[in-house]
Amino acid sequence: MSLLKVENLVSYIGLFTILHGINMEIQAGEAVGILGRNGAGKTTFLRTVMGLVKTRSGVIELDGQSLVGKPPHKISQMGIALCPEDYGVFDELSISENLALAKHKDDTATQDRITYVLDLFPDLKLAYKRPARTLSGGQRQMLSVGRSLVNETQLILIDEPSKGLAPIVIEKMALALKEISKKSTILLVEQNFNMALAVTDRYYIIDEGRTVHNGIMQELANDKELQHRHLGL
Amino acid sequence: MADLITLLITGISEGAHIFLMASSLSVILGLMKVVNFAHGTLFLWGAYAFQMIFNGISGQVNNTLAWLISLLGAIVAGFILGIIFEKVFIARVYGNIGAQILITIGLQIVFTELVRVFWGARVIAVARPEFLQGVSNFSGVIIVHYRIFLIAVGILVAIAGHFILTGTRAGMIIRAGVQNSEMVGALGININRYFTLVFAVGAALAGLGGALFAPIGGTVSPEIGNSSQLLAFIVVIIGGMGNFMGSALGSLFLGVMMALIGWTIPDLALIAPVTLMALVLIFRPQGLFGLAVKH
Amino acid sequence: MGNITSRFPNLITIPKLLWLLAGIVILIIPPISTTATITMVSRIMIFAVYAMAYDILRGYIGIIHLGFALFIGGGTYFVAILFANVGISIPILLLAIVGTTIYSIIWALIVGKIAAKSGLLATAMITMAFAEIMRNMMERWRTVTNGLDGLTFRVPAPFDNRTFMYYACFVFLLLMAFALYKFTTSPTGRVWQAVRENEQRAVFLGYDTNRARTIALLVSGVVAGLAGVMFALLNRFANTDVLAMQMTYNAMLYSLVGGSGSLFGSIIGSAVVVLFQNFLLDLRGVHFIFERWLIFFGSLYILVVIFMPKGIMGFVETIRERWKHKKGGKIYES
Repeated sequence: MSLLKVENLVSYIGLFTILHGINMEIQAGEAVGILGRNGAGKTTFLRTVMGLVKTRSGVIELDGQSLVGKPPHKISQMGIALCPEDYGVFDELSISENLALAKHKDDTATQDRITYVLDLFPDLKLAYKRPARTLSGGQRQMLSVGRSLVNETQLILIDEPSKGLAPIVIEKMALALKEISKKSTILLVEQNFNMALAVTDRYYIIDEGRTVHNGIMQELANDKELQHRHLGL
Repeated sequence: MADLITLLITGISEGAHIFLMASSLSVILGLMKVVNFAHGTLFLWGAYAFQMIFNGISGQVNNTLAWLISLLGAIVAGFILGIIFEKVFIARVYGNIGAQILITIGLQIVFTELVRVFWGARVIAVARPEFLQGVSNFSGVIIVHYRIFLIAVGILVAIAGHFILTGTRAGMIIRAGVQNSEMVGALGININRYFTLVFAVGAALAGLGGALFAPIGGTVSPEIGNSSQLLAFIVVIIGGMGNFMGSALGSLFLGVMMALIGWTIPDLALIAPVTLMALVLIFRPQGLFGLAVKH
Repeated sequence: MGNITSRFPNLITIPKLLWLLAGIVILIIPPISTTATITMVSRIMIFAVYAMAYDILRGYIGIIHLGFALFIGGGTYFVAILFANVGISIPILLLAIVGTTIYSIIWALIVGKIAAKSGLLATAMITMAFAEIMRNMMERWRTVTNGLDGLTFRVPAPFDNRTFMYYACFVFLLLMAFALYKFTTSPTGRVWQAVRENEQRAVFLGYDTNRARTIALLVSGVVAGLAGVMFALLNRFANTDVLAMQMTYNAMLYSLVGGSGSLFGSIIGSAVVVLFQNFLLDLRGVHFIFERWLIFFGSLYILVVIFMPKGIMGFVETIRERWKHKKGGKIYES
């Protein structure tokens, strides 16, 4: 059984229908990229999976269990974590509080995972007691990603981690994500093609609210024509 | 000089009592983005619940005990009303500021009128508890015991509130929720339960504020809800929306300012704070002390 | 994405027959009714204009003006103060009208500047503060306004004739409704709706949203101020209640009950609410529970928001849609 199954997903915001039909299947352990132009519906897709946007019709299943209609906190407890575009980090809380807030359980396993996160992102360890607003953009992204590892997460949804970051920070982030993808399943929305190429194995392209194409990342990298047609590259 | 100190004490005690209403209003506004025009009504019901119990059992039990029981009654009344308001009415209109304003206005009108139905429209006398009556005189400085008590309560609530917000997990969740309640939900926490809790506790605080307020002037009447509410809104704005300590500083500032103005130019007593609120909103929307919580 | 159009049928699409009927009813009321009824319907018509003006801000451009009473209050007080202290004549009335217009323009510009840089909530609170300041000032200026006790005054002929006043209100309603209708269907009106839906997008589309907002405030403020003038002429009395929050709440209720975003809704809303209020007041004679009629009135705010948030016009629109659907017409998703 696939970890995540999405069939004919249609969702709306207010009066506007954003997703007109998303189809996707993700297996456990994969690192899958979601590509597409601006405004195609990629962020809305992640938010719909997370329950932050209402599903109008269609199927979303995690390990066979339906996510449709469930509130975000239940979906989080089922093992999905979201790293939103704007990081979703709480500025007035310290790094340690930001991480502690994410805890579902208070046990040694969770504590070990937090230690792992701090080793993965040493910057966070240095700033541990400081409020999150003292962090740079890249460090906030690290906190956001690190936070998603605090629990036994089955699926991590990451939304444009490279946005607004300096090239060298992007490299660090790509390495970290590659490291994380060895242990967790990742769904990565990215406009930065190279970042996607470095981290993911497969991809889906979303255009105007629909999944229009999918395949192996490496093949897409070699197919300039396909890149141009769907991604405008 | 002695007069000035007396004035300051009056001002600070006024601030302390506004603080009870303003602090809860601020956190509710910051966390739930709810504009609660019925907050003054919670204050009103606290005052009347207090009055009803205190005047009712005063003869039968020890005066101080009667007073404590009455305070408790006011707190419970506020808490219960808060839960009802939030779960039955306000929860339906989250995110819609216009609807919230209208629904809470409706609640304010209905429940203020209900006070008139149950207790009549005239003023009702309320006495201070015996152990807090009285005035002392320290070389010209007049110290009203009840006012000192109010200041003590204010400080206690400020410390307790601060400790809860910064030292407990619930407080941490609330602080995070004030900044980004959606994300808190996405982290696995049922933020709606916290909304109800914060609203109910806020309502209880408002009720306590009403109960403590009644004995200052010595009477309660159905109008006291609305005048206090406006002042609370002003404090929320100048103290910084969503910030608990900001509302403490704001209340202090407003209380002292109003006492000073009331003494020097009484005509401006209401215009001054309202103008201050307008100015802060226009030129310093993050609050007079820059403490408003950013979203 | 869908076209941005008004949510509700505009004035013209209401069947012409209904218009004619309504017109006839209104015209024949005075000869066959009591003075009380004539006055009540006059009041409804004035409030209808007041509500329409309010809804320009709330239902079209999307501003919540919690101090809206200061416009109608201003108009009322200009007339009251001049009539009570200076003299009673048509020229003075014209002076009051000019004064009200200037006053409304000034307040509109001030709020416009503020709304341009502040959010919805901040603007709501500031406007609330402004009305409170005005009310407090009027209350303290006892020598001129007589504070809460209010000013009583006579009005110049022919306004002192109830029937004339009634028809004057009717003409006033027609003129203002027409003027506002023209505005809402003009290009500026479309920008208003675009701003209400999504201001950022309106800016991206190249609309001058600040200018549109200022125009909305000017139009709304001046019309409400004029409604205040009529209000003073009708009541021959003015006190600070006309600047109180309850007066703003009334405007909110009228447009809510009728249906926000529709001029016609405001007219219907004021009629329904005033009639309901009168009905409740009359019931006081029947049963003592209606002494506390405010309870029912307050409940109206709550019930309408929960069960009929789109107001009467919204309800009518829903029926219309279902009717169309039944007849087999297609319904397009926006």
